[in-house]
Amino acid sequence: MLWVALELPALPLQIAQRAGASPEPLVISEGPEQRPLVICANEAAQSAGVREGQAIAAAKALAMDLRVLARDRLVEREALERLAAWGGQFTHMSCMDGQGIALEVEASIKLFSGHAKLASAIRRGIRDLGFHATLGVAPTVLAARLFARAEANGLQVRGCLDLTTLRERVAGLPLFLLDWPARTLAHLTDLGVVRMRDMLDLPMEGVARRFGPEIAICLGRLMGTIADPREPYSPPPRFRARLELPAEANGVDALLFPLRRMLVEMEGTLRGRGAGVQQLVLWLEHGRKRRTRLDLEFASPERESDFILSIAREKLGRLTLPATTIALDLRADALLPFVPRESTWLPGAKEQAIGRDRLIQRLSARLGRERVFGIAIADDHRPDRNWTSMDPGHPCADRDPEAKAARPAWLLNRPRKLVSQDSFCLIAGPERIESGWWDGAEVRRDYYVASNARGETFWIFREHRGEQGWYMHGVFA
Amino acid sequence: MKATVAQLAQLPGVWRGGELEHAIQPVVATGHAALDRELPGSGWPTGTLTEVLHDAAGIGEISFLAGALARASRDDRLIAWIAPPHLPYAPALAAAGIPLDRCLVVRPANRDDSLWAAEQALRSGACGAVLFWLPSDEYAWLRRLQMAAESGRAMAVLFRSTAAERLSTPAHLRVMLSREHGALEVRIPKRRGPPLATPIRLAIGRTLPAASSITDIRSHALAAVG
Repeated sequence: MLWVALELPALPLQIAQRAGASPEPLVISEGPEQRPLVICANEAAQSAGVREGQAIAAAKALAMDLRVLARDRLVEREALERLAAWGGQFTHMSCMDGQGIALEVEASIKLFSGHAKLASAIRRGIRDLGFHATLGVAPTVLAARLFARAEANGLQVRGCLDLTTLRERVAGLPLFLLDWPARTLAHLTDLGVVRMRDMLDLPMEGVARRFGPEIAICLGRLMGTIADPREPYSPPPRFRARLELPAEANGVDALLFPLRRMLVEMEGTLRGRGAGVQQLVLWLEHGRKRRTRLDLEFASPERESDFILSIAREKLGRLTLPATTIALDLRADALLPFVPRESTWLPGAKEQAIGRDRLIQRLSARLGRERVFGIAIADDHRPDRNWTSMDPGHPCADRDPEAKAARPAWLLNRPRKLVSQDSFCLIAGPERIESGWWDGAEVRRDYYVASNARGETFWIFREHRGEQGWYMHGVFA
Repeated sequence: MKATVAQLAQLPGVWRGGELEHAIQPVVATGHAALDRELPGSGWPTGTLTEVLHDAAGIGEISFLAGALARASRDDRLIAWIAPPHLPYAPALAAAGIPLDRCLVVRPANRDDSLWAAEQALRSGACGAVLFWLPSDEYAWLRRLQMAAESGRAMAVLFRSTAAERLSTPAHLRVMLSREHGALEVRIPKRRGPPLATPIRLAIGRTLPAASSITDIRSHALAAVG
């Protein structure tokens, strides 16, 4: 077994600042209502002299425009759950643990060609999500957590890959990194036991009697002498994420950065499940219960954050927002199996071919679906109904054109009435087209191929119903 | 190190004044032997802009490309029609041998969207041919489209009016169409090679019957009624 533990120091603050660092002093408060305490403070607050453990009243005296957010454990838990789901892309065994997540990666090391590469892939991924995490690698969960916490506390530690060297690697670490009751730690300090080395030298029986069996069990699990089974986190079969913006965003450009973070997180989660999404709903919240809905739909299940972001960017660009945006809410209620797209292998095809589906989706996202279409032949004799628009890029049953008479390459949107000055030479015709008496769009026309003195050739007809006269309907381009 | 003239002529973008450029990018045969002979590499270039200049509409400006379009759409690649002046009419295209299921028609609402769509189609690499009708003569945009064309592999054809002949262009090839005496006359004002002395005549479009019946619509209509 090889575990990677991720520790997210000051998690409540990280969640609050994920969509962008807040320039003003910001603290997270917790504690009794009469006297809430600062549990974490951002850089601006710290440089004003705010420290953890201070009363909020004192902190407010130090920093004039201090923003205080109450700690929300539910939000933290949800963030860790989503992080555990995101970790599913690296291993089947991803679970929440303490203030972070733990991944069992022994089986994935070969896939990522070495634990160092895997660890750096995880670090990079976490950074893209907008989190800051420290990372510990060890044969047991608790030891990995210990290393991650040591790094968070600024201690230099090396990971450990083997149980045989675990004892010497943990020896120098202080005991306060463990989640032990403060009383126990104080008691141990009084005894002169402050480092792991001292603790492990004590006889286990005595430790269990004096400090309780859970302390002995914890040590056993940490050293790998007692099994420490974990349940992998199984995420719900949908993806939901909400992100509050650090400041009210005016316009859509400011939304792209936080949106990217959410999409990266979604991509990791989907990778872990071998899934993709075909429909996404993005809510832009404006406050006071006003919000704007943006639907994203794809031709096939997708998960690449860059691609989804490019589609969202075009759609957002077409939107006019009623007010500034304060939060983003992303929802995908149906996760579908994802089929990886084969990429081009043709030699010389260096340029990244994004494929026809992607091109079509990109175009219709910005221009609107009705402006991007494919064409096909329809079963009708009437020229304006002899073709039909259809979803582009999909093979259609190839119908033989009725190649009896010539048809023009261009069809005018609507026939243009000819004036008497237009002078034509009739080349072919008449071709009587009379049809449609059953659906109220009856036509009775004589079509001719005609050309003018400049050599331009047109498709004109003589109307026998309604407003009679000569019309131009096509161009033999 | 000295290079011989023959070696220099092998460099991309270098050709002898009296000969056609040795095209590096693959070309798409035009389907007209007389025209192929006059084009560098014997066909429509890919990965660069080609300009087709014409004023008259309905002289065969699309049908003379039909064979090349059918060839360019091989390997499941798209033929993109960006901002065409009218609707490409499915029965006629099918009759000309253009596969309809490869056709992608894009009719943007405004100028900026048209330029953007053309750029996207050129860059994507998903298109075998991109035909576009540009609402702008801005050199900066042409340059940008040329860059986009270079990054894709499409046969990129830009249709413009002959008034653009005076304007400089980043396109490597420019052909000018007109209809003379029942044939499509192709001139090549710009190519990578010597100027073309005599225009090429292609028998495109229907062979006109003897020009006997130049008819005024009104009198014809009256005759029909009478």
